Amino acid sequence: MSSAWPLVITLLYVATAMLIGLRARAGRSMNSLEEWGVAGRSMGPVTLYLLIAAGSVSAYTFMGAPGWAYSKGVAVFYVAIYLAYLALVAWYFGPKVWQFGEQFGHVTQASAIADRYQSPALGALSALVMAVGSVAYAVLQTIGSAYILFVMSGGQIPVWLGVLLVLACIAVYLYASGQRAIGRTNAFQGVLMLVVAWAVGLWAIHSATGGLSFAGVFERIAAEHPEFLTLPGAGGDMSFSFWTTSIIVSMFSFMPPVWTQWMSASSARTIRRSATWLPTYYVVILPMVVVGFIGIFSLPELARADTVVLEYAMQHLPVVLVGLLGAGTLAASMSSSEPFIHSVSLSVSKDVLQPLLKLSEGTTAKLARLLILPIMFLVIAPLAIAEPGSLVMILLVGLGFASQVLPAFIGMFLWPRASRLGVMAGIF
Amino acid sequence: MRRFLVLPTSRAGWGLFIAFVALVLAGIWPVIGWVNRATLVMGLPLLVVWSYVIMFACVAVMLVGNRIVERDDHE
Repeated sequence: MSSAWPLVITLLYVATAMLIGLRARAGRSMNSLEEWGVAGRSMGPVTLYLLIAAGSVSAYTFMGAPGWAYSKGVAVFYVAIYLAYLALVAWYFGPKVWQFGEQFGHVTQASAIADRYQSPALGALSALVMAVGSVAYAVLQTIGSAYILFVMSGGQIPVWLGVLLVLACIAVYLYASGQRAIGRTNAFQGVLMLVVAWAVGLWAIHSATGGLSFAGVFERIAAEHPEFLTLPGAGGDMSFSFWTTSIIVSMFSFMPPVWTQWMSASSARTIRRSATWLPTYYVVILPMVVVGFIGIFSLPELARADTVVLEYAMQHLPVVLVGLLGAGTLAASMSSSEPFIHSVSLSVSKDVLQPLLKLSEGTTAKLARLLILPIMFLVIAPLAIAEPGSLVMILLVGLGFASQVLPAFIGMFLWPRASRLGVMAGIF
Repeated sequence: MRRFLVLPTSRAGWGLFIAFVALVLAGIWPVIGWVNRATLVMGLPLLVVWSYVIMFACVAVMLVGNRIVERDDHE
């Protein structure tokens, strides 16, 4: 790619996100866990809607999902269904979590578990198990971010530098403004992703079929490759059991950032109102996935399915739209990685290090802010630079880890007789 | 004595519970097997249309749920 515009637009997005993140602090002191961790429980329904929506739409939507459409077909739509079910989960559990958290001053998921079962050890264990899943997810998103910078720069920004650049940007505003930065940047990123996904999707459809209807794409797929339109998909490996278990495991993966997002709401009613409309945001998935289907007949020899949208855009779309795609994909990966980094730091400080080292609340708050640096640069960066395996499989491993703590949540909300030992046995 | 499971306590609550369960069942096997056909509806594969029907049905059920919760003042 010879034009500098895609890289300029992508870097402009990074600078804007950083500015918004830094300004989100608005002169407030971030030296309390309540403020840095859950934005002083102040977020309204629109911010919360975009915060949760942008947090759940990741690099997977812009790269992995079109890649699955390209290589397997409609099986990828399990994602749309599980995201809608996550909204149901938020609608039911979110207000209960918020009330419990507000009453007892929780800022983390593990603190709620520790209080419910009267066991700081169980809280610490949950924090550590969830940290593994969260780090896996953050690594996945960071790989996506670095890859985007690599492509948009025409290879001038190597993956290792892209990883460090993106993490440094997030570190600055996350340290400065905590959950408020996540709220503001996710709101910006959420709107950007929606606009970019539909602009890219419609332009790609027009360039592939001459019209703006999805029908042109799918009629051709139905005629030439009908196996992409049903399960078990083109590879024959997307069975009903894969579809069903992926949806159930994913919808009950109460990841820590989701909990933190709920506790950042200004009221229980706010969560319910945001959750109600959340599924409407997931129309963002459709146009990107359709580009994956276009790739089936336009780019039949692609070596790596995850790159289908980028490859198609670089071959057929104007440079400005390629740049916006870079910005949108980077927005998707950053908006998903920063809540996970934040929640790991918050939970390890509050639920593992505070009880272990008998730290005060003030010291723990300072520690939580500082801990993002070793988490990012000593754990996530080396793992992301090593670029392990398939993006989708890493996501599923992360969600699988998170679902190990499910017995604790069942006991909190649905099963009053659940015991500490039972939950520990469930985790092990 | 503590209850074994937390269950709805009103008819409206049971109605919502059944609607939630029905929505989840609509998106997994065996129901998904019934819409697993290589036919197009409004230019989209049937499975894709079904996925979006479920998504918007979730919005509708939660809107009804909001009215019930706010009417009963369960905050």
